[in-house]
Order: sequence, then C-alpha cells, then structure tokens
Amino acid sequence: MDQKDNTLKVTVSRGTSGEQFEQEFEVPAYENQTVLDVVSWIQQNSDPTLSYRFACRVGMCGSCAMMVNGEPRWTCRTHVKKVVRKNTLSIAPLRNLPVVKDLAADMTPFFDKWVDAEGYHHPTRTRHDPMQEVTPNDEERNRANAGIECINCAVCYAACDTVANNDAYLGPAALQRAWTLYNDQKNENGQAILDAVSRDGGCHSCHSMGSCSLYCPNELDPMSAIAGLKRETAKNLFRRRR
Amino acid sequence: MVSGSEIERHDTDILILGTGGAGLFAALHAQQSAPEGTRITIAVKGLIGKCGCTRMVQGGYNVALGGGDTVERHFMDTINGGKWLPNQDMAWRLCKEAVVRIHELENEIGCFFDRNEDGTLHQKAFAGQTADRTVHKGDLTGIEIINRLMEQVLARPVEKLEEHRAIGLIPSRDGAAISGVLMIDMRSGKFRFVRAKTVLMATGGGPTMYKYHTPSGDKTMDGLAMALRAGLPLRDMEMVQFHPTGLLAGEHTRMTGTVLEEGLRGAGGQLVNHAGNRFMFDYDDKGERATRDVVSRGIFAEMRKNNDPTQEGVFISMGHLGPDNVRKKFKGMVKRCEDCGFDLAAGKVEVVPTAHYFMGGVVVDVDTRTSLEGLYVAGEDAGGAHGSNRLGGNGVANSTVYGGIAGDIMGADIRNMASLREPDETVLASEISRAVHPFSREPGLVLPLRKELQEAMWEDVGVMRTATGMNRGLAKIADISDRLMETGVSGDNLAFNLTWHDWLNLRSLCDVSQVIAQAGMARENSRGAHYREDFPDAGDMADSYFTQARQTGDGVEVTREPVQFTIVKPGETILPKDEPETLVAAE
Repeated sequence: MDQKDNTLKVTVSRGTSGEQFEQEFEVPAYENQTVLDVVSWIQQNSDPTLSYRFACRVGMCGSCAMMVNGEPRWTCRTHVKKVVRKNTLSIAPLRNLPVVKDLAADMTPFFDKWVDAEGYHHPTRTRHDPMQEVTPNDEERNRANAGIECINCAVCYAACDTVANNDAYLGPAALQRAWTLYNDQKNENGQAILDAVSRDGGCHSCHSMGSCSLYCPNELDPMSAIAGLKRETAKNLFRRRR
Repeated sequence: MVSGSEIERHDTDILILGTGGAGLFAALHAQQSAPEGTRITIAVKGLIGKCGCTRMVQGGYNVALGGGDTVERHFMDTINGGKWLPNQDMAWRLCKEAVVRIHELENEIGCFFDRNEDGTLHQKAFAGQTADRTVHKGDLTGIEIINRLMEQVLARPVEKLEEHRAIGLIPSRDGAAISGVLMIDMRSGKFRFVRAKTVLMATGGGPTMYKYHTPSGDKTMDGLAMALRAGLPLRDMEMVQFHPTGLLAGEHTRMTGTVLEEGLRGAGGQLVNHAGNRFMFDYDDKGERATRDVVSRGIFAEMRKNNDPTQEGVFISMGHLGPDNVRKKFKGMVKRCEDCGFDLAAGKVEVVPTAHYFMGGVVVDVDTRTSLEGLYVAGEDAGGAHGSNRLGGNGVANSTVYGGIAGDIMGADIRNMASLREPDETVLASEISRAVHPFSREPGLVLPLRKELQEAMWEDVGVMRTATGMNRGLAKIADISDRLMETGVSGDNLAFNLTWHDWLNLRSLCDVSQVIAQAGMARENSRGAHYREDFPDAGDMADSYFTQARQTGDGVEVTREPVQFTIVKPGETILPKDEPETLVAAE
C-alpha cells in the first residue's frame, strides 16, 4: 500500500445551526476502524475543539448516530471499509435536528415527540399485583415485540423526508413506539394513543416512502408499524361516527 | 480566569446525579414519596438514559420468584459469591427488595421480560447461582429496562439537566451537610451550582482506567473521585471485576474491550491459546464455564506465557457448535463482530480480560444514607452489597433496588429539612480552580497520558497483583498525575469541549486509580476479584476484613475494618437443613 492508501480524507461539518461550514482532515487508516474511531482520532490528535457525542461504543445506546456520506448511521458500528469511497468520507450531524455544535445534534425534539405520541407505558397493574401471564405465541404480543428493540438513535428520524418537510410530524420512531404500546395488552391507553397519533403531524402524515425501515440499523420496520396505526385510526374514526 | 460571578446558581429540592437504573428509579420514587410541590432535578453527563451502563446490561436481573428459589437462597449465593465480604444487611435488602422492583418494572414501568411457554417469567442461571434466577429480555435486558424507565421520567415534570457534568460535592458552610453540586453545563461550558436539600449520587462506577474496559465511554469514576475529595469513606476499593472475554481489535478502535457475552462460554464456546490449544481445564474443573474471576486469571496467565508480539490475547471459538446455530442463538453478538470485521459464528475472535464493574464504593447504610447529611449514594457508586465479587445479574438488581430506596428516603427525609443550605464558598472556589487548571498550562495531548495510565493499571494493578507491581503502579500513577497537571487545554471555546472533559476524566481516573492500588496493597490475601500472587490464600473467613479508604490532607489512608456477620457466619447457612445445595439441573 502506498502512502495515499494509508490516509483517509475526511470532510467534517463544523459549527452550530445556521453557521455551519466544512473542514477537511487527513486521518491515518487502520484495520478495524469505525467511523467513530475516525471522528475520535481527529479530536484526540488533530483538532481538540471538535465536538461529537458517543457513549456505549457497541450499538446499544444510540448516541453516536451521524450522517456518513449523506446517510444516517451509527458511527460506532460502521466499519470505515463499508462506507469509504476513494479514501474519502464526509461526516455531518444527524439531519432533521438542531445542531448543538459540530457533529452533536440536539435530540430534544425527537424525545419530545416520543412523549407526545404517548410513547410511555400506562399501567394497569401495580407492583403489588402478580405479573400478567403472556404466552410466547400470543399474536398481539408478537406485534408489540416487533418494534421493542428500538434504541431511539434517531437514524430513522434523520432518514425521513416527511420529517424534513413537516416540523410537526412525530416521526417513525415515536410512531413505532406508539404502535408497540397499542399492541401491548399490559398498556391501558389504547384510545389515548390513537388520539395522539391522529392529530396533525400524526401517522397520516407519513407517505410510506420507507427510508425509516431501510436505514434502521436494528432492522426494525417502523413503516409497517405506522401502517398499522393508520389502519387502526381509520377503523376508530369509523367506529366513532357510527 | 473564571470568577465566582460567572457561576450560574440554581435551586432545587431533590437533586439526582445520573440516569441509569439508580438515578431514574430515584426520580420516580422521589416523585411518589415527596410532598407535593417538591422540585426534583435529574442531571447527567450525557443524554438521559443513553449514557451509562444500565443500558448495556446483557444478561439480566437476579430475583427469587419461587419455583423452589427463595430470597434466602439468593442471599446465600450473594454472600458466597462475594466471599463473605458483603455488608450482609445490604445484600439481604437487595435480594428481598428485588422481588418488589421486578414487579414494578413489569407492571408499572412497562418492561416486558421473556416468558415461559405457560406465560410466566423465564429465568436462567448464571455462574455462581444455585437456582434459575435471572430474569431477562433476550440478551438485551438493559435496553428494555432503561428505555422504559427513560420514557417514564421524560413524561414527568422532573427538571432535566442533560450534558451536565458534576465536578464537586459542595458542603454547607459549617461542613455538617451537603449544600449542593457544582456542575459544568457541557453544551455551553459554563459552571452551574445547583443547591438541593438532598442529593443522590448515582453516577455509576466504571473502571475505565484499565487498558481493556467494558463500560460506556462517558464513565470515568467522577462520582468516587468527588466523594473522595468530600472526605467520605470508600470501601472495597481494590475490588475490580474483570470480564474474561473482551473484544481485542487494536489500540486505535473504541471497540476494543467491549464485552463478548458470558453466554458464549455457557453454550460451549472454547477458549484457545496462541498455540491453538484449549487451556481452561488446566486452571479449573469447570473449564470455560468457571466464574468470571477464574477464567480471567486463566486467560491472563496464558497471555503471559505467549512470546509472540503479534498476538496479545487468546481466542474464543464457537464454530464447533455449528455456525448457523451460533448465528441464530447469538444474533446480536455475531452481527456486532461482523460489523467490525470478525466472524464469530465460524471463525475465532481474539479476546482479552476486560475491566467491567467496580464493587467498591462509598460507605452507605441500608437506606443509602452517607456520613454527610443530605447526601445519598446508590448503584455502582455505593460499596458493600457485592463484597469482593458481583454475581452476573446482581448489578442491575442493585441499582434499581437502591435507586428506588434512595428516592423513597429522600422524599421522606426532605420533610424534616426546612431550607436549603448556604455553600462553603471556599470549597466552591477551589473546585472551580481545579477544573480550570488546564487553561493555565500550554495545550498538549491528553490521550497519550490516559493510555499510559491504562497500561500501568493493566500491568501493575490488574488481574494478578503483587506488592512490587502495585508499588511500581503507584509511582507511575503519581508521575502521570503530575504530568497531567502540566498538560494544558485551550480555553478559547468551552462549549462542548470534549478535550477539556478528557482532561477532567483523566483527573478523576488518576485519583481513583491511586486508591485502588493502595487498597490493593492493604489487602494481603486473595478474595474474589482481588488476586495477590504474593498472598494467594483467601485467609480465614471468620476474620474477614474490608478495606476503607479516606482522603486525609494530601494523601489517602487505608484501614482494615472487620466484616460484621449480622445475618450469617462463615460456614453456616440460613437455608433450611434439608435444602439441596443447588436447584440448577446439571448440564
């Protein structure tokens, strides 16, 4: 390998929302190198002022997602080899969110919408009651299980063009959480969920373009979850009119 | 230079540091138990529920839920696993309260754990357990627990201070109680002093001062470093748990050190040395299925025998179990390895023991109270429940049980606390000057110093220890610590300045590393996670002592305190006479 092959040319987005600019860095290439390692190398060796966010290092926390060559990805689990083009990489903060600084996005709107979609458990039992028995082949439960491994990394939210064009849209992750809870027989507020996801910016804003399901690093399928909500909210409307 | 006027001052009633299992449960319980109108604030170094280690729990949650298993049996396993060093009252409360907490998690928080065919909870046994006790959600139990807890807290009117790093526990003017906590708002780089009537420290331990380590990248022992400066006694500080199988992928990647799960060995995974031979049966009859400490030492010993510099660790090999079978059973692990270029299902993956959990921590009572009025400690920051070794599955049980207790107790204690306390401004000023110190020095690289510390701790205060090694380690720590004080950081832009935080991280790690080495010197026997090559015997259980470290002036003093056998004495059991030794079916 000649020297050129041993160096990555990395374009990094700097600054805060409204005042962003691009900066180039040369980073040594290694075996077993992730995009997070590239970003870390720049901060640790080249420019100590570079800001970014990470925590678990292994795809469990969803803190380190960024735009890599224009696509949202977990940087900790993205091998450079998989995404590098002619020894170049471009790295930017997650799309569709405000930028705190450089590569760190402000995830507040994402989590506010999670709560707005009623994305939290509404209990039917207390700690003093026995646990609900649920058999593994329970159909409702299997529908709930489909989306349960979401780690709220906001990759789907960044991938979604509807989010990009509609500030009010709850987005794929929050809606998928709502669908999971709607199918969870332990959860009480079925009607509240349907109401929350029927409002402006709810599930009917989705145009089923499918970027969420395409980019989900956990191979979940928010688009189908949203389709489920669309069906149930339509049925619900019909029931109410009757 | 930053002056007092540049500190933003903020008041609350109950302040919680950390958003792992302990912090989030404390917030929920405080809200349930405190008088109406009580202000509750939760602060965290990263994002709520996202940083920290509860989320990273793979295995599960230990709790005795019948089927022959009892709280008494769980307790005896915990005491035996901790080699008779645990604070027995804490261990008992952990086991007893876990039963309530798991019901709370399922019924009120909304977690869904794996079920048996008949609809009841599925439980499995980890090494060191005598019953199928560990409740789990596949091998991603922590994600389910923390996601559900996080949602509950996000949906409640609790004040959230995200990316706020605590840097100092500030006492009241008379020093008798806590006044509040000094923090850095990491996004702006500004100091914020938050006064509170009660403060829970639940920042998690996380021994990341070792070359190979599993915890989340934000973890740097800040909590214990703060507690040390506040003069609080810390116990069992020599007790660092190593997980035997951390991924080895090179020095330049953050993947190195991350855990390849325990279940791989349980399922029949084989460990193979540099010469291609299995070796664990040379060290223990249970081979690869021996407990974490035993396997870690076996691997470490093999590593020392190897002279090939291109190979550092040993290999875990799963292929003989059938690659498709491995892919199916360990989907997450196989994919994780694949993403970083390794074939776990059919090939072999290089592994190394990796620092995983810190058993030591602040001395607390069973209600999480400390010797400083108004300060409470729960989770990995608190010492005592695990003694010299934590059983797999007891970690998340401990943090959620004691976090909830802390919330209840703070909610009750606050009724007797009429007002906020004025801070000792001298301590506040000295904590600030400590934090801004690097701005007064020529900027330099922090990372090489951190690597040096990690190398020193791994070599000299690691899996196997000697007095000579630890003394050498102490000298290295002091030298690195001195050089850190001469290494500067540019103070031009403090907003989200990770390099400043790298400096502060290393400051905490140096301080705590010194205590680990000193406590290691003070324990002249081998118990659980602490192994002395120069004192290989466990010592007489009846004369068990735990170490207690405390800052005195510029130094740290370590004493030995006798373990109080308040519930059961060594050689005895609280299980009924006719109880079998184990309920776990032999494989």
